[in-house]
Amino acid sequence: MKRKTFLTAALAVGMVLEGICCTAVMADNSDVSGKVVIYTSMYEDVIDEMQETLEDVFPNVEIEFFQGGSGTIQSKIAAEMESGKLGCDLLMVAEPSYSLELKEKGILYPHEFADKDKLVFDYDEDGYWYPVRVCNMVLAYNPDMYEESEVPASMKDFAENPDMKGELSMSNPLTSGTAYSSVVGLLDKYGEDYFKALGKQDVAIESGSVALTKLETGECREIMVLEESVLMKRETEGSDLTVIYPEDGCIPVPSPVMIVDDKYSANANAETAAAVEEYFLSPEGQKQIVKGWMYAVRNDIEEYPYDAVPLDKLLENTIPVDWEKCYRQREEIRTMFQEYVTVPQE
Amino acid sequence: MKREKRFYFDVKWFLILAVAAFLLIFQVFPLVFLVIRTFFREGSFTLEGMRRIYTYSLNWTCLKNTLITASLSMVFGILIAFPLAFLVGRTNLYGKRIFRSMFVMTYMVPPYVGAIAWLRLLNPKVGVLNVFLKNLFGLSGMPFNIYSIPGLVWVLTTFYYPYAFITISRAMEKMDPSLEEASRISGASPLKTLFKVTIPLMLPSVVAAGLLVFVAAASCYGIPSIIGAPAKIYTVTTRIFDYVSVGSAEGLTDASALAVFLMVTALLALYAADFVTGKKDYITVSGKSVQPSTVDLGKWRVPLTILVILFTVIVIVIPFATILATSFTVNMGKSVFTPGNLTLKYWNTIFSRKSILKSTGNSLTYAVSSATLGMIVCVVMAYLLKRTNVKGRKIPDFLITLGSGTPSVVIALALIMTMSGRFGINIYNTAAIMIIAYMIKYMMMGMRTVTASLSQVSPSLEEAARVSGAGWLRGMKDVVLPLILPSVVAGWFLIFMPCFYELTMSILLYSDKTETLGVELYLYQTYHSQQTAAALAGGILIMVTLVNVLLSKLTKGKFSI
Amino acid sequence: MSVITIDHVTKRFDDVVVIKDFTAEFLDGEFVTLLGPSGCGKTTMLRMIAGFEKPSEGTISIDGKTVSSKDVFTPPEDREIGMVFQSYAVWPHMNVFNNIAYPLKIRKIPKQEISERVSRILETVHLSQYEKRMPSELSGGQQQRVALGRALVAEPKVLLLDEPLSNLDAKLREQLRFDIKEIQERLKISIVYVTHDQSEAMTMSDRVFVINSGVIQQVGSPVEIYRNPVNPFVADFVGKINFLKGTSSNGRIVLDGMDDTLDYGGPLTGRVEVGIRPENIHIVRDGAHLSGRFVTEYYMGEENDCRIRAGSAVLRVTADAETFRSFGAEEQVGLRISDFLVFPEGSEDGRGNE
Repeated sequence: MKRKTFLTAALAVGMVLEGICCTAVMADNSDVSGKVVIYTSMYEDVIDEMQETLEDVFPNVEIEFFQGGSGTIQSKIAAEMESGKLGCDLLMVAEPSYSLELKEKGILYPHEFADKDKLVFDYDEDGYWYPVRVCNMVLAYNPDMYEESEVPASMKDFAENPDMKGELSMSNPLTSGTAYSSVVGLLDKYGEDYFKALGKQDVAIESGSVALTKLETGECREIMVLEESVLMKRETEGSDLTVIYPEDGCIPVPSPVMIVDDKYSANANAETAAAVEEYFLSPEGQKQIVKGWMYAVRNDIEEYPYDAVPLDKLLENTIPVDWEKCYRQREEIRTMFQEYVTVPQE
Repeated sequence: MKREKRFYFDVKWFLILAVAAFLLIFQVFPLVFLVIRTFFREGSFTLEGMRRIYTYSLNWTCLKNTLITASLSMVFGILIAFPLAFLVGRTNLYGKRIFRSMFVMTYMVPPYVGAIAWLRLLNPKVGVLNVFLKNLFGLSGMPFNIYSIPGLVWVLTTFYYPYAFITISRAMEKMDPSLEEASRISGASPLKTLFKVTIPLMLPSVVAAGLLVFVAAASCYGIPSIIGAPAKIYTVTTRIFDYVSVGSAEGLTDASALAVFLMVTALLALYAADFVTGKKDYITVSGKSVQPSTVDLGKWRVPLTILVILFTVIVIVIPFATILATSFTVNMGKSVFTPGNLTLKYWNTIFSRKSILKSTGNSLTYAVSSATLGMIVCVVMAYLLKRTNVKGRKIPDFLITLGSGTPSVVIALALIMTMSGRFGINIYNTAAIMIIAYMIKYMMMGMRTVTASLSQVSPSLEEAARVSGAGWLRGMKDVVLPLILPSVVAGWFLIFMPCFYELTMSILLYSDKTETLGVELYLYQTYHSQQTAAALAGGILIMVTLVNVLLSKLTKGKFSI
Repeated sequence: MSVITIDHVTKRFDDVVVIKDFTAEFLDGEFVTLLGPSGCGKTTMLRMIAGFEKPSEGTISIDGKTVSSKDVFTPPEDREIGMVFQSYAVWPHMNVFNNIAYPLKIRKIPKQEISERVSRILETVHLSQYEKRMPSELSGGQQQRVALGRALVAEPKVLLLDEPLSNLDAKLREQLRFDIKEIQERLKISIVYVTHDQSEAMTMSDRVFVINSGVIQQVGSPVEIYRNPVNPFVADFVGKINFLKGTSSNGRIVLDGMDDTLDYGGPLTGRVEVGIRPENIHIVRDGAHLSGRFVTEYYMGEENDCRIRAGSAVLRVTADAETFRSFGAEEQVGLRISDFLVFPEGSEDGRGNE
């Protein structure tokens, strides 16, 4: 009840504001209005900054973010689907295999993005999802504690170097979508043996932030982690933790943006959501993404995240991920990972 | 002037029915829906979901780990809490008041943050305490490895023993000393009296305390996810998280199928507790009034005080110092006192965030609401259980226990599925859904303390109020509530505290308007840094401690933990 | 005029009948005692009068108003009665004054009047200098006086007492017994008193209801039920008694296992049970009805308790101080019976429960 009153009040205020400031700066977007709720796993700092910009870009749109880990948001959405309605209009979460699933379930709304030929990562031909930012799986070490020569320089060595046994950590593929995509890439490249090797190494499977702490305290010698988290520590805390771009390739995982179909969305406002999507995919939006320590997805963006390598250089040496396989064989791959890596080795 | 009422409106039953209806709609329905859901796929009944989960050997390992760690934590929790409660409540130990406040402090820190502190202290590679002990005693290797079952039990125990301590010490202080004196006169030594009289008389409270620790430890996620994972020790809760994170309908089904195990375990534990207590609900607060007596420790006074100080240092001071040090450290690889490594910026971060004020306000509102509503439910249901002989009076107690035994993530998802409009109730994205989630999860803490306490108060005290002319409500207010007040306050705090920093459910249920401290904490620990999370946890601890001290001062020690 | 009317009240807990078809009228200003062994249902009956239990059947009226029946139920707080509990039920968190003042506060009596009335009651229960004390600073007897004061302060028509003296020591018990009686006579209130102690019942009551297994055995003044108990249970419960079996015929009763006979002018014939109170057996040299052998004796002051074997039975005999120590063990003595009771054999009436 309260909520309803509130919404009415918000709408009323919105209308009044519309009347007053319709001559605002970004005139081309002032015809877009309504409310858009975005579920995203992006950093809070990034969102705070984006929210301010978005207010200027879309003076008549009320944009609300809900933020959480990919796993959290995906489970929230799954539960919402049970009740027949999602709490959001736009999704910027997870990786393409999740988009495949949502598309198949008919949740998504297609939107034609004019500049899609400028995208350097996979996207949906029918316009159901586009990559919007890139999370990059790399290795990292702590130069205060070890020399670069003392730690593995490749993903393969990470799993196989016997000196590293018990001193490694990686994100959990069972709870994190990016970690899952990464191990699928590694599985394709090295086969099941890679998982077996990880198991033998006694790699700790835990959240990225715990792994970073362990790297900092010297408890871990090397970790497999998202580049953005290391870059953020370097820029905001002056941390010495250093990224290693694996010799056998890093694993860039594009994260998609998707519009929820009016049938399922919170505000039945797909066209407005599409406008917001366009903004995120535009050069302006992409530059904001880069400020959040993630790579842009367009070939016409020169900026790259804080003291990382430029995007074109990054793309020279990567391990590809088969998104169809990620989606179709999820159950088998998860189980395989569990049995080889998470279950105690006899 | 006598009233002859044909239709007698009974406030008592009205309240009991109202509370029962509340439980039915907001607690039973979501959980039952979730359980039933696991038996249906595409509209038809199937045992496939259950079969898949319970035939997988890894899951059985998890079940085993959960039972082992929760049971051991319960045993050690009681073994620690009982002597502490006795020393602080019934003897002339030095500094009793300070210790009393100290002992509950581990409860004021989110388990996740506490676990990180222990991980830093006792990891087998560079654990600070490990290194210190190794150098001190010239050991060849590290004395402790936190990544082990004992390590997990240790962290769970240090975190959850305050449940036991609070529950037992409340009961201890109210015990009729003549019961003990009678034993001494019969020729029993003080020690024998302790074992033959005090402990058996405390049994209902001890059992209640054990149950709380067991259920809390079994359904805890934060600690096993951090301490257990590196040692490949998985528990039911971490496993449930794995399933939930799949983010599909099947994932939810699998997670809830596994959660059923924890629910059943909690119920069995309650049943066992009931069985052990049996008819042993001793009335130790009778209508006869007596002065509580203090046991003179004699020559043991100093040694025991030293022992308690030692315990406090190990369990409370060291980990808290670690948390605080973390919050001031730039580089966790170096000592906080290394030049340039000491910083206030993490504290600055939490105080400068614009959302922090709103989150604190929200958390405070929700936690106070949950604790207050929760205690109303608990007092009414405890009354139903202990003071009436209605058939089925035990059911609410079971329901409340069931809620606490269910992992937070499962509760939150069940609420999303059932409370967002599909069944005519839509409280999704409101404060109400948060408060209800917190109540489901933590009400048991209040229920147990109140039940234990109410069963110690003689019914004749209440009846005396009734024949004096007081209605049921008035009698409750004037007589029953004042007598169980210490337990009500304790129960209120036991609910309030975890709600105040609740993380798992909040992150699933919050919306733009209902962001809480737990959500901030989650975001800090996931995206930002342990340092900021530590600073926030430190801030929460300082705030709660201040409120506690202030309350204690204002009410002359009547209302404090 | 009757102040409490109990009409065909039956109380069942699940399937167990605790009170069976209880009908009684308690009169204005009367001191009534419900006497019986523990578990006989007397406390349940009292709690039904108070309103803590609902009768399964029947009606209860207080002061002419129905308080409990099939479709009426007045809760305890509206019955305007006073009650004193076995365990005192003095509220430990209130001082003496506040405990006693409570019923007046509930009735919204002005402060000034409360303080006057409480003072008066404190005097009545001999606690005047204790009004600021907390209950834990009082002795058991004093706490029970507080409870009594609290029950009386609102000047109820009826005062219910549930074994109020059983937690006190002998000396206090005697003292409080007289206090209660004196207060009752002075305030002219009706009292329903529940006890298992026959001497309390005997000394205080106007009428005694002897109850066993939920059934009223006998109603009467203390003298009546002592002198003329209707069955062996009552005879046994309200005083000391020796039971002997025998056969009655032609105005005589032949006692089993004895050569002696008793003259009997009553109507019963055939197998009978003879009850003889110890004080009705006299040790005599001449004119004995029975002969026996002296076993032992217990000195008790004025009167002494002897054991004398007659046939296969050992009888309790009350002997005066003079007789005491005048016999040696196994010495032959003669017994004269001055009075006895005769019941048909098998009229046990629930005595088997004991």
